[in-house]
Amino acid sequence: MIVRIARRDLLELFRDGRFIGAGAVVLMLLITALAVGWQRQVESRTERVVAQKLDYDDWLAQPERHPHDAAHRGLHVFKPEMPLSMIDPGITPYVGSTHWLQAHRQSEVKFRPAQDATGLQRFGSFSAAWILQVLGPLLVIVLGFNAFTAEREQGTLRQLISLGVPLRRLMAGKALALGTALWTLLIPFGIVALIAVIHGTPPDQRSDAGLRLLLLALGYALYLGIFVGLVLAVSAFARSSRVALTVLLGLWIGIAILAPRAVADASRSWFPSESRRDFNARLDADLGERYQRAWNSYFGDNAGTPFGYKVPLSQWGKALQIHDQAGYETMDRHFAALWNAYARQQIAQEWFGALVPTLAIRAYSMRIAGTDFDQHRAFSVAAEHHRRRMQDLISQDLVTHADHRGEQHFSYRAGSDFWRQIPPFEFHPADANQSLSDASRSAAVLVIALICAWTLALFGTSRLSR
Amino acid sequence: MSTRMQFKRIAAFELRVLIAERTLWLTLGLLVLLIAYALNNGIVQTAQRDVSTVETAKQDQTSRERLADRVRRMMAGEYVPDDPFANPVDPSAVGGGMGAGHAILPSSPLAPLAFGQSDMQPNEYRVTTDSRVKFMQDAEIENPWNLLNGRFDLAFVMTWLLPLLVFALSYNLLSAEREQGTLRLLLSQPLNLRTLLLAKLSVRAVLLLGSAVLLPVLVISLVRLEARAPAALLDLLLWAALVVAYGCFWFALSAWVNTLARSSAFNALVLIGSWVLLVLVMPLLINLLVGLRHPAPSRIELATQTRIVTTENLERLQDRFGTEYMHVNRPDVLIPKDGKLEVPERLRAFFLHDQALDAELDTMLDRFDVQLERQQRLVDRWGFISPAITVHEGMAALAGNGAQRYVEFQRQVKAYHEKWKAWFSPRILEGRAIAPNDVAQLPRWQWHEVSTAATGLRLLQLASIAGLLLTLSLRRLRRFPTI
Repeated sequence: MIVRIARRDLLELFRDGRFIGAGAVVLMLLITALAVGWQRQVESRTERVVAQKLDYDDWLAQPERHPHDAAHRGLHVFKPEMPLSMIDPGITPYVGSTHWLQAHRQSEVKFRPAQDATGLQRFGSFSAAWILQVLGPLLVIVLGFNAFTAEREQGTLRQLISLGVPLRRLMAGKALALGTALWTLLIPFGIVALIAVIHGTPPDQRSDAGLRLLLLALGYALYLGIFVGLVLAVSAFARSSRVALTVLLGLWIGIAILAPRAVADASRSWFPSESRRDFNARLDADLGERYQRAWNSYFGDNAGTPFGYKVPLSQWGKALQIHDQAGYETMDRHFAALWNAYARQQIAQEWFGALVPTLAIRAYSMRIAGTDFDQHRAFSVAAEHHRRRMQDLISQDLVTHADHRGEQHFSYRAGSDFWRQIPPFEFHPADANQSLSDASRSAAVLVIALICAWTLALFGTSRLSR
Repeated sequence: MSTRMQFKRIAAFELRVLIAERTLWLTLGLLVLLIAYALNNGIVQTAQRDVSTVETAKQDQTSRERLADRVRRMMAGEYVPDDPFANPVDPSAVGGGMGAGHAILPSSPLAPLAFGQSDMQPNEYRVTTDSRVKFMQDAEIENPWNLLNGRFDLAFVMTWLLPLLVFALSYNLLSAEREQGTLRLLLSQPLNLRTLLLAKLSVRAVLLLGSAVLLPVLVISLVRLEARAPAALLDLLLWAALVVAYGCFWFALSAWVNTLARSSAFNALVLIGSWVLLVLVMPLLINLLVGLRHPAPSRIELATQTRIVTTENLERLQDRFGTEYMHVNRPDVLIPKDGKLEVPERLRAFFLHDQALDAELDTMLDRFDVQLERQQRLVDRWGFISPAITVHEGMAALAGNGAQRYVEFQRQVKAYHEKWKAWFSPRILEGRAIAPNDVAQLPRWQWHEVSTAATGLRLLQLASIAGLLLTLSLRRLRRFPTI
């Protein structure tokens, strides 16, 4: 019986043109977004891989020079592009992709794409994920707002009840109809996406990317499932189609448009994070003090300021080593504090996902795609570790080779043997399993929201006979 | 009865009906709440930024005074520095950091009205003799997740939400009268349909748009002293005009949909559909097209070029970089003699290196600005396709947080950076020590406000589209079936 109800509802959706009209628009937007994402990703992946290799080749090929000068030249490292960023670029437009690893100081990741775009960027990024997150629920609403109200208005609801059709089965049939309509649209897109992802991913990462795509599909199924429940619930409670539509549109605007911004602003005030100015000022002050302390504890209380005349050039290798290593812990602490504040802001927003599922799916989708902040943080940390490795090797080399030259410290030259000691930068992003465990919170929140929405739908349906 | 009298009567009657209904109060109440939250965010955020810039300026002042004091004490023989990096008379140290101040972009009087680009673009740079590749590529640090979600500012309320409130009040202007059968009754009186529509629209527009602009105007002029200056008041007026024109566009669209003589539900769906298209989808598509038409140069290419130029210059300056720091054995080199100082060759090398970096990457860096300007021109030209773009960009510009003001800021910072380097260059290269009265002569940052808000054009765009739509609707009314 459920199937029969579903078939009848589907037929009606087809006949009144809603399914074809709204569906075609959404599908077209999705395919366009995917095409654009695919092209951008393929381009930037090649560019980054080439740039990374060139940079390291140049490092190895550099002539003999003082290693500290080589550290000022530094190394560039580029964040690898994740395969699923063509579907969900996540925070990619708002974070940089390049680290310049140099002597002395942890660098920020530079070059955010959004800096090179006009103010329009702030309307959102056109991606398949955005379309599914924002327009997906609207599609569900357009298809299902009158699921029960139409029956009521046409008088068929009374007939059905008098025939003894169990209300739960009626609801199941309607849900099946909505679900089938959605899958008819989204499965073709899923197949196209799968081809694009496989095509745009190096062979060794394909199974990982495929798994991620599957997880992404499950997440969006949950998300749209929430709205199917919500739409059925409102349609069952509402007296007329007009009321149902008004309430659902209001909910949609609240959930998809208004709440994400309102909650973002609220979470900023609950867990304040520093501005660039304050962050740098505090870090500088702390580092200065830390450097001085380390300097005095090694060279004695009368050693003056770091790199002053009181420590001879024959100890500059050691001095550099002490100076660098003294800063590591301080930098870690400051960056961790900043990033933890971001993480807390985001976790707060993810919990809000139970009320505002758009926030939950946004977080889930990004984490599964590997375009979230944790991935970015992992890259930043890896880059910084690589920088420290370079620094430590350099100061050790200076201690070994330059310090015994006494006053001829800067006449020391390292050559290709030494350049080779610094390995190429490699960053291995978390695999799909890790991403899934990162996404477990938002997945749980989505499930909670799903249960709430469907309980509401069941409750609404049970009242239909009144 | 003259048309004007009719208009007044209907308007008065509509007002009475509206006041008696719940819809108006719900809509206005919601509007006030949204405005209050958004304004509060704007005011708090701007106040934080202002405190921060004042603090920076104060610190700059203190560090300059300390520098002047050290130079004086050093000349009097009361102070000897430990190293060349903090030597107050060494031009390479002073230009490279000790004497450096910040280039600050002050917030505009109307800043709380729209965040625009202010959460992403820095509003201060510490300008030194370092290459601008090193300090001007930084962005404001902000949680990228929040940047992605966007902020809840007044520009958001006006651009995204105001149209929905317009719909709530007007989607069934004529359709409801038809559905309830009252339209026939009304038109059996000597009454023009056109007058009826205009009167209904006007009452709603005045109430909704009036509250939408009055509240922010009052609050801003009360809270921000700067906003009471004549120029700022004019901008505030322009802002209000922009919002009203935008609101009128949506009212006109609603009127047009009503003249199609379909059901209220149909009207609501069409209006929401056009909102989705114009406010949600269009800006994203235009952003995409603009990016495809004038793509930003590759930042990765910039990184590669930076490396190449750096390598070349390390080579060229190899000898200077290979020189030892003299102060370790002869602390007396830190003290000037007859106004001359032995600037450490390595520090001179760093200076020359960064100068070369600036010179050789200049064209490449400028290409980023040029492309961005091209993108912006394209947005300005085609933005009218979606009034949301016009009004959002217009509000950001009036609030002094638009993309163009930041481009102008960066242009002025670049000029100031050149001035700073030019002041230090001969001193570093010829080894001239900083003299006590030099400190007061150091180049000082001064921001010159340049009007970047093309509000007139934007108003014209919005008003003409609204006017066109309204004319179309009034013409259509001739064929309006009353039954």
